Amino acid sequence: MVLLEAKHVSKRFGGLKAVNDVSFAVSRGEITFIVGPNGAGKTTLFNLITGVVHPDSGSIYFQDQDITKLAPDQAAKLGIGRTFQIVKPLRNLTVLENVMLGAFLRTSKPAQAEEEARGILTFLQMEKFLHLPARGMGLPMLKRLEIARALATQPKLILLDEVVAGLPTVEAIKLAMLLKRLPEWGISAIGGIEHVMQVVMKIADRVIVIDRGVLIAEGKPQEVVDRPEVIEAYLGPKYKEIGL
Amino acid sequence: MSHRQFIAAAGFFLLSFAVPLVVHSDYTLQILFRVFLFAALGLAWNLVGGYAGQLSLGHAAYFGVGAYGLALLSKVGIPPWLSLFLGVGLAVISAAIIGLVSFRLRGPYFALCTIAFAEVVRLVAKNLPDVTGGDVGTQVPLLFTESSIKSFYISGVLLTGLAFVLTAWIERSKFGYYLMAIREDEDTAMSVGVNTSRVKLWSLLISAALTAIGGALYASLFLFIVPDQVMSLDMSVEIAIVPMLGGAGTLFGPVIGSIVLETAAEIFKNIFQEAHLLIYGVLVVMVVIFLPEGIAGTIANKLRLFKKAPAGSLAAPVPVRPEEEAERTAFRK
Ligand SMILES: Nc1ncnc2c1ncn2[C@@H]1O[C@H](COP(=O)(O)OP(=O)(O)O)[C@@H](O)[C@H]1O
Ligand SMILES: [Mg+2]
Repeated sequence: MVLLEAKHVSKRFGGLKAVNDVSFAVSRGEITFIVGPNGAGKTTLFNLITGVVHPDSGSIYFQDQDITKLAPDQAAKLGIGRTFQIVKPLRNLTVLENVMLGAFLRTSKPAQAEEEARGILTFLQMEKFLHLPARGMGLPMLKRLEIARALATQPKLILLDEVVAGLPTVEAIKLAMLLKRLPEWGISAIGGIEHVMQVVMKIADRVIVIDRGVLIAEGKPQEVVDRPEVIEAYLGPKYKEIGL
Repeated sequence: MSHRQFIAAAGFFLLSFAVPLVVHSDYTLQILFRVFLFAALGLAWNLVGGYAGQLSLGHAAYFGVGAYGLALLSKVGIPPWLSLFLGVGLAVISAAIIGLVSFRLRGPYFALCTIAFAEVVRLVAKNLPDVTGGDVGTQVPLLFTESSIKSFYISGVLLTGLAFVLTAWIERSKFGYYLMAIREDEDTAMSVGVNTSRVKLWSLLISAALTAIGGALYASLFLFIVPDQVMSLDMSVEIAIVPMLGGAGTLFGPVIGSIVLETAAEIFKNIFQEAHLLIYGVLVVMVVIFLPEGIAGTIANKLRLFKKAPAGSLAAPVPVRPEEEAERTAFRK
């Protein structure tokens, strides 16, 4: 059953077509990854879905409701959670308070928000850090904090913007194992991840490849990486870059 | 608010009510009234400027509307206390208009916008002599039958108590968390469903209402007001500096800031006469440089560091456990 559907979505910034006539659908309980080189338009796609920017043309549906023109807080209320590629913690609040903020979307009681936040932080193995201010955390924990805050809003769909990229390998793999368990929480997920193809191959049910704003391939992970146009646009140059 | 803080606050307010039993000097009570007035104004500002992090430099508008509301409405025959509350209503309406426009802007542009609005309010008051008395000023009725400074002092303490209790409650509520989230990162707040425009506006409406009550009390004590006094940029700045000095975004900060700043101002005025503004300015600059989180903020941070976080734990690395090592190997296959 279709949860999210983008139909011919385009967005330009000045002369740049950041997202160009992109259509795709995400089903319930499915983990989809969007891959593509830097600047391909992955983050912009997330911003379009969450109402941070609005498309110039095309439309976006969530649970059959038109969400094309919604504001970010309305998208969150409908059940779309997101993380930020460049982490955006509430620096002077504690880790627990950061996650409570997300939980306040579904409850007004601080005690209940705290209980839910604790549960999520335990799932993400962050219970040691509850009362420390977010500003003292290292990048691996800040990436997890992004996920925790979004999870606390009890989303139906969570958009993970490069939560694994940039992490040390051990940490990246540990986090990927946790992401694989997101459907247990009744959550469908879309990750936008580059570089860590290893992770994508392991946990994605489906992969979407975009290059310069255009969707160039879509399918099961193994099928997609074998396609010549994907190797050409994305994997090929990348592999050469790192000397493989 | 912790248990100990609650006892400290309750003790402080009880003692404050008892002050007129021992202090009989009108001069001292007037200074103490000023301390409480600015503590209340600082607490009011703190909701918007401290917790929500929106640097308003135009709170004199609400102070002035409260003061003029009392003066002008009683002039047309409305009883003083009713005039006061209608004036507070007018201030809330002004805040709604000012907020709807200025909250579209972020950072320094927001601050400039609030200054501009307060200036507009002041200039309107100056240039409508038939209504407001213009630069000549206007008379304000007495709110208390007994014209003693004691009544003003007690109402100052009550207003501070009201603002304090309200702040303590907000600080622990969902609304308070939303305010702090807006201060820390507005995009993050929106991403978890916070309607940031609405939350900011609510904080300004509450803040403006409290500020307007303060304006009316102040006006009634002096019995005569002019726009350049109650609606000046100086007034806006003082309302903002008190909580910043004491600790913006903290519960006790505005009260501490007012005690320090208002008594220091009075002492300097007596000792240094003309030079007191200079000394006052230097003091404010020193505090901003050496205690950027204000007095209460700095103390709280020191205490927290000693208590909760042992040295080095802030950036504690994540240890790898054996079972995780196994997971890792499984993953590689
Ligand atoms: N708000 C914006 N204003 C102008 N240009 C933008 C904006 N957001 C993204 N871009 C541009 O759009 C292109 C796609 O960016 P982005 O979506 O962040 O790529 P990715 O996440 O795939 O690395 C980039 O060239 C980027 O500079
Ligand atoms: Mg990106």
